[in-house]
Amino acid sequence: MRYVKLPEENFEEFFNSLKKWGIVYAPVKKENIYSFQKVQNVSEIALDYTRTMLPPKKFFVRPKDEMLKLKEGHWEEANGTEPIVLFGVHSCDIHGLEILDKVYLSDPVDPYYKKRRENSIIIGISCMPDEYCFCKSLGTDFAMHGFDLFLHELPDGWLVRVGSVKGHEIAWGTEELFEELTEEDMKNFREFEEKRANSFQKHLNKEGLEDMLDLAYNSPVWKKYERICLGCGNCNMVCPTCRCYEVCDLWMNAYEAVRVRRYDSCFMESHGLVAGGHNFRPTRLDRFRHRYYCKSYFDPSAGFNCVGCGRCDEFCPAKIEHVKVLDEVREGLQ
Amino acid sequence: MSFQTHDARILEVKELTSREKLFTLRFLDPEINRKFKYKPGQFVVVDIRGFGEFPISLCSTPTREGYFQLCVRRVGRMTKYMHNLKEGDIVGIRGPYGNGFPMEKMEGSTLILVAGGLGMAPLRSVLWYALDSGKYEKIYLFYGTKAYEDILFRDEIIHLLKHGEDMNCHVKLAYEVESPSCIYLEKGYSPRVCKGVVTDLFRGESFDVNNTYALICGPPVMYKFVIKELLDRKLSPGRIYMTLERRMRCGVGKCGHCIVGTSTSIKYVCKDGPVFTYWDALSTRGLI
Repeated sequence: MRYVKLPEENFEEFFNSLKKWGIVYAPVKKENIYSFQKVQNVSEIALDYTRTMLPPKKFFVRPKDEMLKLKEGHWEEANGTEPIVLFGVHSCDIHGLEILDKVYLSDPVDPYYKKRRENSIIIGISCMPDEYCFCKSLGTDFAMHGFDLFLHELPDGWLVRVGSVKGHEIAWGTEELFEELTEEDMKNFREFEEKRANSFQKHLNKEGLEDMLDLAYNSPVWKKYERICLGCGNCNMVCPTCRCYEVCDLWMNAYEAVRVRRYDSCFMESHGLVAGGHNFRPTRLDRFRHRYYCKSYFDPSAGFNCVGCGRCDEFCPAKIEHVKVLDEVREGLQ
Repeated sequence: MSFQTHDARILEVKELTSREKLFTLRFLDPEINRKFKYKPGQFVVVDIRGFGEFPISLCSTPTREGYFQLCVRRVGRMTKYMHNLKEGDIVGIRGPYGNGFPMEKMEGSTLILVAGGLGMAPLRSVLWYALDSGKYEKIYLFYGTKAYEDILFRDEIIHLLKHGEDMNCHVKLAYEVESPSCIYLEKGYSPRVCKGVVTDLFRGESFDVNNTYALICGPPVMYKFVIKELLDRKLSPGRIYMTLERRMRCGVGKCGHCIVGTSTSIKYVCKDGPVFTYWDALSTRGLI
C-alpha cells in the first residue's frame, strides 16, 4: 500500500479535482437521512455521516434498471454508462461491493454491472461506529482492497491509502496537494483506529455461526420473529449485499418496449412462487428464516453475506435487530 | 454474456393435451443453430418480446439435431401468450442453462425414469437420448398421470408400451381418474398400466442397485414418496437424480429467485441445478 497525507487546507482543491474523473456522488444529509447524491461543493457533503439509507450498490445494481430496448422488433442494449466517482464510501460498503462483485462478475459476467464497476472510482473514508454497527465482528471494519483511495481522518487532514493504479493516477494528477507522512501522522492514525475499535457497542458472535444456524432450523425464535416482522422487505432494499432482482417488460408506446429489472425482496410472497401457483416459501416464517440463512451463509472465497453495516436494524419499522435474532437463535440451541 | 436472446422460428405447434402444447423451434441464424448444444435436463429462457421471459426445460434430445422442442403448459400470462403463437412465429431464446443429467456417467447402467404429470417433459429428453444412444442396459419409465387426457406425448408413450421391450425400454403407466380410454389401455397392457399413483409402479420390480440410476421429475409432493420407494430398495442417495423447479428469472445465478439452502450450503437451482442428487437434498435444506 502507498500512503500519503492530504492536509486539511488542500482538501477542497483535491475534492474539486475529482470532478474531471466523473460525476461525483457523496453522502448528503437531508433531514435525518443520509444518501449518496450528486455534489458540486465540499460544503454539501456530510463527511461524518453514519450510513446512507441505500448503500452504494444502487449505482451498480440499480433499483430500476433498463437492460434492453425493443426497437422494430429487436432488442438493443440500453444506454451506456457515465464515469462516476463515489466519494466517502465506508469500509463496510466497500466489502459489500466486493461481495456483489463475486456474484455479478463471476462467470457468466453481468455486462451491465461490469461496465458500471469499470467506470467507477471508489474513494473510501474512515468512520466512527454508532449503536447499530457490528462490522468489526465480521472483519469488514477495515478495507484492504476494493477502493482507489481511502481517506483516514487526522487532526489536521487526512492519511490517504492508495489502493489501485487509478488511485495513484488521481493522486499523481494533483501531486502538489499531497505530503509525505510524518511520525506524528502515523501516531494519530493509530490512535484514531484504536479509538474506533473501542467504540463498537454491538458484537456478533460468529463462532460456528453457519452450523449453529443450520442446526436451529426449527428454533422457536424464528416463530417468535415471524409474528414481529412486518414482511415489508425494507431490510432487503437497504442491505449492501441483497441483490435479488425481478425482470419485466414495459411498453413505452405501441412500438417500443423496455426490459427492466428492479429490486426484489425475499420477504415478498411472490419470491418463492412458481408457475401454477405453488410457493416454495409460503409463510412469513419461511421467508424470515431464509433471509437470515442467506445473510449468514459463509462462502469460503467471499466470507459472510453480511457486512455488519447496521442498515437492516436502523431501517426496520418493527425494530428487529439482526445480531439479537442470531444471538437468540444461538441461546435457544444451548 | 448479455441478456439478449436469439431469434428462433416456431416450426410446428402440436396440441398435446388441453393445457400443454409442444413447440418445435429452430434458430434463424444457422451459426447459432449449429452451436446450440445441450444436455437432457437443461433449460432455456423463452423471450416473448415486450411481454417478458420464462424458463422452460428442453424436452427434445440433443441426439436429434437441427431443432429443439419445448413443452409449454398454459398456466399464466406468458404461457397463454405462447399458446397463441402459430407456426412461423418468432420467439427469443437464451440458454441452454443449468447442469443437466450426467448421461455419460450413467452409460452402461439401468435408468429408472420416474415422471409425474408435467415432469414427463424434461425426462422425455433423457428417454429419447437413452434410446437413441443405445448405451444403457435397460430403461424403465414409470409415469404417473391424472387422466388419459393428461398423458403427455401420448402417441409416443403408447408406442413404447407396444414396442418398448424390443428397445430394452420398459414403460409403466399409473392413472388416477378412471375413463373408458384408461380401462382400454389397462386391458391391453396389464399389469403395466394400472389405476393408482406412480409409486405403485415399483411393485414387482427389482433392480441391481449397484448398477442403477433413478431420475425423477414431478410435482413437489411426489419426490418424498418416490425417494422413499428407492431408498427402501437400498439405492444410494448419490444415484438418485431429480430435476427441480424454481422461479428462475436470470438463469445464470444472479437474480436470487432460485436460491435454496441454509447457512452451510446455499445453492442456485439455475446454476448448480436444476438437476440435483438426493444427497444434495439431504445436505441442502429446502431443496425438495
